[in-house]
Amino acid sequence: MKYLLVSATTVFLMMTVSLASAQTVGFAEAIKILAASCGKDIQAHCQSASLANNGITNCLEKNQSRISQKCNADRLVVIGLITARLAAQSEVSKICNRDMAQYCKGVKPGAGHMLRCLLKAQPSVSAKCNEAIDLAGYR
Amino acid sequence: MNKLFLSSVAIAVIASATGAFSQTKLSRNEIINSLQGAQQEVNISADELQKAAIENIEKYPGANSPQQLPLAAKLASLRQFNLEITFHFDSATIAPASYETVGLIADALHTPYLQGQTFFIVGHTDAKGTREYNLELSIKRAQAVREALVTTFQVPGEYLFAVGLGEEQLRDPSNPDAAVNRRVQLINLGYK
Repeated sequence: MKYLLVSATTVFLMMTVSLASAQTVGFAEAIKILAASCGKDIQAHCQSASLANNGITNCLEKNQSRISQKCNADRLVVIGLITARLAAQSEVSKICNRDMAQYCKGVKPGAGHMLRCLLKAQPSVSAKCNEAIDLAGYR
Repeated sequence: MNKLFLSSVAIAVIASATGAFSQTKLSRNEIINSLQGAQQEVNISADELQKAAIENIEKYPGANSPQQLPLAAKLASLRQFNLEITFHFDSATIAPASYETVGLIADALHTPYLQGQTFFIVGHTDAKGTREYNLELSIKRAQAVREALVTTFQVPGEYLFAVGLGEEQLRDPSNPDAAVNRRVQLINLGYK
């Protein structure tokens, strides 16, 4: 029973983790996974590969038969996380367009003024816009 | 025994998770807070700054620079933030231990608080080795950080400029070989 309980907790933990990643994570959080899961493989096979131009993930892909299972899984996860966050950020102004017109009239765009206004108006702002702000990591 | 093993693994996982949370190191908001609020446009170009460092070596040769760059005072007045990024020895390859830091810069630059403003990414070394070599290495390292931000993390490149100042602008001139001098400096040049 205790065994079952522990596994149930583990499953629950895993679900929370995957749920959290479905909500998008920051670039630092994403790339940290690559360093943690693939650090040894990078050192062994991609020592001179560059972080730029997806050099590390491309090198790991080339060496996929030689790298650890965890790294093979996570290199794809990391690319997905970065792509998801970028997509979420590019959506915000479109999704929040009406809220900005309604609650941030006269606010000068730029330097985060609009975002500050939307964050302040959170209780009135539409659920979609609030969600978009969350997904972009702008809160 | 199996049960016990499982529970201890679970505890270890929880322990390491809290460890990761309680470790209050550099955060995205720390970078944003230091960089935001740039005043109106500043008239320094990255080329100008790069040239100033090269000329400083030509004009005042020797093991160490006898003086700060002419632009130093102007630069010091700008919104900025110093970061430590580890590279492989003698190279411009960013070490995996510093991926997270580069990611944090991307996180900060992608927020509306900093979008649309121009930034210099300035590489600095300590004073060990020749000034020419250090200048060259710092240029390559600053470029490596810029390239990672612009490509892998898709920060718009038109706002980011890499400059290497080698050992021409030490953070602690009284300890020229100190680790504190090795840094990547982000400087906000404001809206263009």
